[in-house]
Amino acid sequence: MGPPKKSKKDRFTGDKFGKKRRAEDEAFTQLVEDGDSMPSDGVTELDGVPVAASKNVETNDDGIMTDEYGAKDYRAQMELKPDHTNRPLWVAPNGHVFLESFSPVYKHAHDFLIAISEPVCRPEHIHEYKLTAYSLYAAVSVGLQTHDIIEYLKRLSKTSIPEGIIEFIKLCTLSYGKVKLVLKHNRYFIESPHPDILQKLLKDPVIQQCRLKREEGEGFIQGTLEGKAITQFGTKLPPGETAATTSATDNDPNAATAAGTAATTNPDGTPAVPEDITNFYDKIDNEEEDEDEANLKTVSFEVNQEKIEVIQKRCIEIEHPLLAEYDFRNDTHNPDINIDLKPAAVLRPYQEKSLRKMFGNGRARSGVIVLPCGAGKSLVGVTACCTVRKRALVLCNSGVSVEQWKQQFKMWSTADDSMICRFTSEAKDKPMGCGILVTTYSMITHTQKRSWEAEQTMRWLQEQEWGIMVLDEVHTIPAKMFRRVLTIVQSHCKLGLTATLLREDDKIADLNFLIGPKLYEANWLELQKKGYIARVQCAEVWCPMSPEFYREYLTTKTSKKMLLYVMNPSKFRSCQFLIKYHEKRGDKTIVFSDNVFALKHYAIKMNKPFIYGPTSQNERIQILQNFKFNQKVNTIFVSKVADTSFDLPEANVLIQISSHGGSRRQEAQRLGRILRAKKGAIAEEYNAFFYTLVSQDTMEMSYSRKRQRFLVNQGYSYKVITHLSGMDTDPDLMYKTREEQSQLLQQVLSASDLDCEDEKVPGEPGYRPSGGAASKRAGGLSSMSGGDDAIYYEQRRRNAGSVHPLFKKFRG
Amino acid sequence: MSDAKAGRSGPTTSTYALIPKPANLQCMDLQEYLRTRTAETLEKLYNYPTICLAVYRELPEIARQFVIRILFVEQPVPQAVVASWGSQHYAKEQAASTACLTELNVWRVTAIPGGLSAWELCPTFKKNLKIALLGGGKPWSMSHTLEKDSKPRDIAFLDTYAMARWRCVLHYMVGTGSSNKAQDSEGISPDAVRILLHANLMKRDERDGITITRQGFQFLLLDTQSQVWHFMLQYLDTCEERGLSLPDCLSMLFQLSFSTLGRDYSSEGMSPKMLTFLQHLREFGLVFQRKRKEGRFYPTRLALNVTNKHAAVPAVIAEDDKAQESGYIVVETNYRVYAYTDSPLQVAVLGLFTELLYRFPNLVVGVLTRDSVRQALRGGITADQIVSYLEQYSHPNMKLTESAIKSKSPLPPTVVDQIKLWELERNRFTYTEGVVYNQFLSQADFVTLRDYAQSINVLVHMNERTRTMVVTKNGHDDVKRFWKRYSKSGG
Repeated sequence: MGPPKKSKKDRFTGDKFGKKRRAEDEAFTQLVEDGDSMPSDGVTELDGVPVAASKNVETNDDGIMTDEYGAKDYRAQMELKPDHTNRPLWVAPNGHVFLESFSPVYKHAHDFLIAISEPVCRPEHIHEYKLTAYSLYAAVSVGLQTHDIIEYLKRLSKTSIPEGIIEFIKLCTLSYGKVKLVLKHNRYFIESPHPDILQKLLKDPVIQQCRLKREEGEGFIQGTLEGKAITQFGTKLPPGETAATTSATDNDPNAATAAGTAATTNPDGTPAVPEDITNFYDKIDNEEEDEDEANLKTVSFEVNQEKIEVIQKRCIEIEHPLLAEYDFRNDTHNPDINIDLKPAAVLRPYQEKSLRKMFGNGRARSGVIVLPCGAGKSLVGVTACCTVRKRALVLCNSGVSVEQWKQQFKMWSTADDSMICRFTSEAKDKPMGCGILVTTYSMITHTQKRSWEAEQTMRWLQEQEWGIMVLDEVHTIPAKMFRRVLTIVQSHCKLGLTATLLREDDKIADLNFLIGPKLYEANWLELQKKGYIARVQCAEVWCPMSPEFYREYLTTKTSKKMLLYVMNPSKFRSCQFLIKYHEKRGDKTIVFSDNVFALKHYAIKMNKPFIYGPTSQNERIQILQNFKFNQKVNTIFVSKVADTSFDLPEANVLIQISSHGGSRRQEAQRLGRILRAKKGAIAEEYNAFFYTLVSQDTMEMSYSRKRQRFLVNQGYSYKVITHLSGMDTDPDLMYKTREEQSQLLQQVLSASDLDCEDEKVPGEPGYRPSGGAASKRAGGLSSMSGGDDAIYYEQRRRNAGSVHPLFKKFRG
Repeated sequence: MSDAKAGRSGPTTSTYALIPKPANLQCMDLQEYLRTRTAETLEKLYNYPTICLAVYRELPEIARQFVIRILFVEQPVPQAVVASWGSQHYAKEQAASTACLTELNVWRVTAIPGGLSAWELCPTFKKNLKIALLGGGKPWSMSHTLEKDSKPRDIAFLDTYAMARWRCVLHYMVGTGSSNKAQDSEGISPDAVRILLHANLMKRDERDGITITRQGFQFLLLDTQSQVWHFMLQYLDTCEERGLSLPDCLSMLFQLSFSTLGRDYSSEGMSPKMLTFLQHLREFGLVFQRKRKEGRFYPTRLALNVTNKHAAVPAVIAEDDKAQESGYIVVETNYRVYAYTDSPLQVAVLGLFTELLYRFPNLVVGVLTRDSVRQALRGGITADQIVSYLEQYSHPNMKLTESAIKSKSPLPPTVVDQIKLWELERNRFTYTEGVVYNQFLSQADFVTLRDYAQSINVLVHMNERTRTMVVTKNGHDDVKRFWKRYSKSGG
């Protein structure tokens, strides 16, 4: 849970900036709202989130006794089962679940836990999960029943389950996931297998109004749900695996996974598994077969298409959030697009699994899929589009990634240029008649005047009924911006893709109700073991501050402090040493620096190409191409513009010289740049390296510890390097002598305040294109957690020299 | 001008008060223990063949060679001859062995005709070691033959018994013995408590009664064998007070250590004092005796291993505690610590350096934090002790991981590194010896002297405002000379 280091310093710095950040954050949201069409009728953060979701099981054990060491003592609350050694987990009254990864039933338990809870940390031996209202919501939305969740949890647990937990599960699952909003034959239906719940809904006056009655006195429409799952994506899998997947013909994906695991591991072959656990599997298997014959009975009523928004909101208010499902195979209103996966596109098992969760019952569910960077998120997106085969809209967060998505579509699917339309400030293809539109979030949400051409495209875009909307890097968009996207674009189903479902402001939970529940989250360590992503050696290199720099560091004000520890000569030398070392090995290295002054200084001094905010799109592409193909360009320097979506499959070394405070997400995203599995690499050895250079005894140390938290919880371990051997003897390194170092110090001290700041990217608070003389230090919470990568180049160029339009509003 | 002379800076030798090291647990092995005894005591001890044998066994290998070579030589052997027995490559080891023998009073220097110095074994030691090796002398007190035990005890039983007894002592230390009377039905005797107090492992507190000390915590981190040895040493320290003779007890202890595990011995013929000692040993689990008055006892593994550093019999692994004793701690790369235990003792030890979060019926969840480890370090526990404790009791599964196989340590290397770094963090000062110059009368004087010191590179620190400077000790003479010249020419 907590970081290993809980120093007072952390807390101190946190408090110090906390206030300022909050203020800036507010300013930012205000900005967004200004240009927002949102009504000002007191839209709160919790709007659109059901009340039960705000229930927190974490506080369940507040009253619990602590023992003499300050630990929460649960011993009185639970009883150890006699055969506890054969069962894999413990459930704490505060919703935390601990799972032994070496248990014989680990695979089953893991599949089950991933469906009902959030992973907290998954290192080698014992994993920790947490039951939350959202995770349980996700569980029911993929078809798990309250009773089954409790029963199975009971059976897997080494001890008895605390009462509070059972209550919590019931509270969160009983009303959730029972009602679905289905678009069928171009009509909207509210569907549920429980007639009583529909009755209850219809008693509500608001919903009553929304009901569309074709004839007077019409009852519920009876129907059956044919359990025909999408069983195959793209190319056929090896026979062993297809057997498992084709048997998964049920609306309960857990059963599907259970069937899958049952096929691979014979329960009889593992005598250590207590009987009731295996029995339960059998039971689920049997149920599944039963349902195959007699399909699930459902009842539904039709609703007025115009009132969808209203009814969705109302249903959340009365604690029955609607799950959006899209019966795309029966949708004749929207034309199919002619797109298929190429035979060469083979899905990896986890990609397949994640998609199976999405298309579990033959319909498309909305939700978020979490896969590590480099694990092939794009392929999942492309496959989803090819499965739905309706008009698809792909939203990403930069011009470069728009290009990359287009490439992905061309690589994996039969789509050609005529079908894919890019809509960015740089490239505007003709949208009419295309099947796939790729654009950025900021293009859609832009509120200022657009060019005529863009205006046309927008209008077309708004008129369309989209089959599927793929939202790339979904964690980056602030909730408000996202709401606006949803009001502009009509789509039947939404698929969010991200590597890090994590924001420093913890607002990530909102996504659950804006897009849909988290459908799948991969285990980084497992993918790494199987060689799907690179094996990364993470290292924190401690660079001692030179005495002169440290003296200045202690005496100067905050903004300069940062520049001082970034420009620390021994850091420069370490960086140079590492670059040299890895160039000799033939590695491709990316060096990250948030600070532009440092970025330029390092890059120019070492004579390497660099990319940062002002670098033009053409130049960027040129540098990236050179990096990919030119043997002589092995190292590039980039600012945080490259944090996400720059696909650089060749890079395998990453050096971080300055970073954005304690952002866990940035750390994970950056690691993602080198995660793509390397060709011909041996899975047992480290084949990628991630260095963070930290100036000793400065604020960087505590930031760095904070940043690492997410990855450490994913099972990564950071090696601390206190001394790079060979560095002292290398004659080629710069800043060896005191004179050189003091010159550097002079340069740093004479740098303007602006140089001390992190790079500002448009859209971030504090961004001034004109480079205003005095601006506050960056570090808005929102910029750390989202929105910072939203770049709208067109706008920026046109307004060069003037104040950013958002700011104009803010000041006016 | 003369004033200037009078006011010439008085060089004051600075004294850096070293940061007081917390009193740490001194854990001596047999050699160290004997070395701290007086010559008379040693002489007394060497009257017992068993002690001689035990001492001999614990000597460095080269020293053993020397002893056995000259054991039957009836005259002193010239030092040069002894020195020639080993190769020059191992001069260092040889010197160490020689020193060791001297310190332990095993041999001593005598002069032989011709002015050469020679080695001669201490006669008492010589005589009694011969007895130990060749037989003779008084029969060992426990060598009386016994009729066959009708209900013989096997080794497994003895191990369990010994560990249960020993754990009673440890439980008492962590303060759980008293609260859980039912569990450890017998508790421990006032005698044992006295030893713990004497050893400074526990202290009497007016408020809380008897509490564990810092040394006590360190004691808990030791492996069982070292614990027993340390405890016995403390016992021997106080045995005179009880009217027991130290050599008698020590000899008895060694006799036990030469006995065979699983065999029963007779206590017949032992003096009443030795019988008391036997009862004490029984309490700590070193011997098993069915009834107090029964003339039969079984030494346990604890007794067998007591002196033997490189115990042939591996550290005490009681079968009954299977996983618990052999390994129950899982340490993760995210600094989480999971311990499969419900033993208050193990939890208490873990609580020394981890922040405990949750307790389940058979699991304790904790996390190693900088604070928790630093607290342990402040308490005098070293990083190595923490690491070795975690290694010693690491869960069998930990040993199967890739990194464990590669690096031999079952712990994640990052965690080990970090614990060590946390320790290093506390020692970041480098000390330079120096001499302070202060009370300059004028700025000019100060500047001149400072510039001179700087020019010959001996200036360590200076403060212009207070006109204070520190030069290195080596530079002091030069600076002093310069100052004399300067003030003379100035005056």
